[in-house]
This record gives sequence, structure tokens and C-alpha cells, in this order.
Amino acid sequence: MLYLILGTLFGFALSRSGAGDYDMIQGMFLFERFQLYGIIGVAILVTAPGLRLLKRRGRSLLGRPLEFESKPRHRGNIVGGLLFGIGWSITGMCPGPILVNIGEGKLYAFAALLGALIGAGAFGTLYSRLERVFTLPPLVKGTGDG
Amino acid sequence: MDVLSPSPHTLILNDLQPMHWALAGAAIGLITLCLLFVANRRLGISTGFDDLCSFVLRRPYFRRGAVVLGRTWRLPFLAGLVLGGVLSAALGGGWALTWDAGMLDTVFALGAGAKLLWMFAGGLLIGFGTRLAGGCTSGHGIFGLSNAEGSGVVTTLAFMAGGVLTTQLIYRVFAG
Repeated sequence: MLYLILGTLFGFALSRSGAGDYDMIQGMFLFERFQLYGIIGVAILVTAPGLRLLKRRGRSLLGRPLEFESKPRHRGNIVGGLLFGIGWSITGMCPGPILVNIGEGKLYAFAALLGALIGAGAFGTLYSRLERVFTLPPLVKGTGDG
Repeated sequence: MDVLSPSPHTLILNDLQPMHWALAGAAIGLITLCLLFVANRRLGISTGFDDLCSFVLRRPYFRRGAVVLGRTWRLPFLAGLVLGGVLSAALGGGWALTWDAGMLDTVFALGAGAKLLWMFAGGLLIGFGTRLAGGCTSGHGIFGLSNAEGSGVVTTLAFMAGGVLTTQLIYRVFAG
């Protein structure tokens, strides 16, 4: 329930801020609209110091040790990032806004979601072959992030 | 300063005036922190594609811990994103199905089928690219950069470069 509420707030903010708006995204990449740079910048300005404080505290609200891992660096960062950027430009959506736009009633967002699922499915299916090429981290089964 | 003023452009969604970027950014930052502090979860949305795939695909990649353990929280979070979109439209002038894609329509005038193909092709790149990179705008961009991670910096630079190059090609070269 907590996750549904946080997701709803996040989705509402993405929707009303223009983060899922085709024209806002093109305007960002054309350097004509400042909106999305402002949003990402402020989001980081808020998250970074909060994260430092939380890491110093080391515990969650319920007193559990904070558990999150840094994402590993590998060749896939650059190649995958470039491919994702091309897709972001084509659709005007990054992953969160695909779902937000489906909620808003934008019919074409269903096609983007179908594509994204097939793309992710293809990647996972080919993982053992891509692993060495892109120096990807080994899969951790069972528990843990990765 | 002009750049500090609210966006002069309205949204495709019901021609609404967008939230001020500083307010939206602060909201996104606070939700990210809340997710970590209250629920002990690292923000990440594109891993949700793996979660959804894991219901039909059985390869080891879809049985790894991040998916098996993450599904229970990430899927409700993703459902919230959809619900947030519904509420945003319903409370902001009314919810309705639409094909409106702003300047994609005014510049290219695609029919429904062509637009679906266009979006599907972009979606393929998003799905494959985010999984290869290990994250998207949320996990690498917002969380990764806030946590000063090298992988976040590299990936964010790469997807911004990919987006800028593609949009400039489409709207300045091809349609320019």
C-alpha cells in the first residue's frame, strides 16, 4: 500500500511536471525548454544531501540497516545509455512516464510499453552472450540487488 | 532571472500549465528519499520491465535476486505511476483516451498505425538500452548522480547524448 501511494505521488508529479510530455522532452533535447533540466537538477539537489544524512544515520525509519548497493560500472553503461537515449527521444518517454502516459490515456504509450518489455526480454534472454562483451556483472540469484 | 520563472509552455495533457520545475524537482527528490528512509528501497523504475518479463520468461536473468525480491514492492510502485497519470488527468480537466503527441503530429502527421510502430521501435531501444545500462533516468540519473556513482555519471551522459543527437537529427536535420 505504501508503494502504491508513493508511486501515485511520483506518477502525479511526473505527469504534471511535463516529464512525460512529448513536447517537453523534445524541447529539452533541442535546448529550447528549460523545464526538465530544472526538475532533474532540483531533484538531485534535494536527494544528494538527504542521502548523505541517511547514510550517516545508517538506518531506516524502522531501525533496519540501510540496504542499497551502488550500480556497477561496465561497458553497457555507455552503449545501453546511448540506445536508451535514442529511444527516449523517439518516444518522448523514459520508463516512468511510459506508465504515467498510459494512465493519462495516451494510447501510443501502450506501444512503447510493449516495445520496452520485448526489449528487456531480449536483453535478459541474451544475457549470457552479452555478459562478456560488455563486462556485465555476474547474476546474483536468490537475494541481493544487481 | 528568466530561467527561474515557470514554464511558458503548456502540457499536451488538457493544455494544463505545468507545475513549477522547482516544486516538481523537490517532490521527486522527497519521494526518492522517502522510499529509501521509510521502505529501505533504492529508486529504480526500469528494473520493473524485468519484473514484468519474469512472469513469462524463465531465463536466469529473470530469476535473479533484484527481480525476485524487488517485484513485491516495485510492481505496486509501477501501478501507482499509472494511477498517478489517471488522477492527474481526471483532476486536471478530465480523463479521455487520446492519440495527441504534440509536435510529432504537427511535424509528421503520422496515422495511428505509423505512430504505434514509431513508439514500439523507440520502446524496444528503451527496454534493451536501460537493461544493458543497468538503469534509467530514475536509478542512474536521480539516485545514481545523487549518490555520486561513476556508473550514474557515465550512463546519464550517454543517454543525454543519445537523446540530444536523435532529437536534433529528427527536428533540425530531417524536418528542419
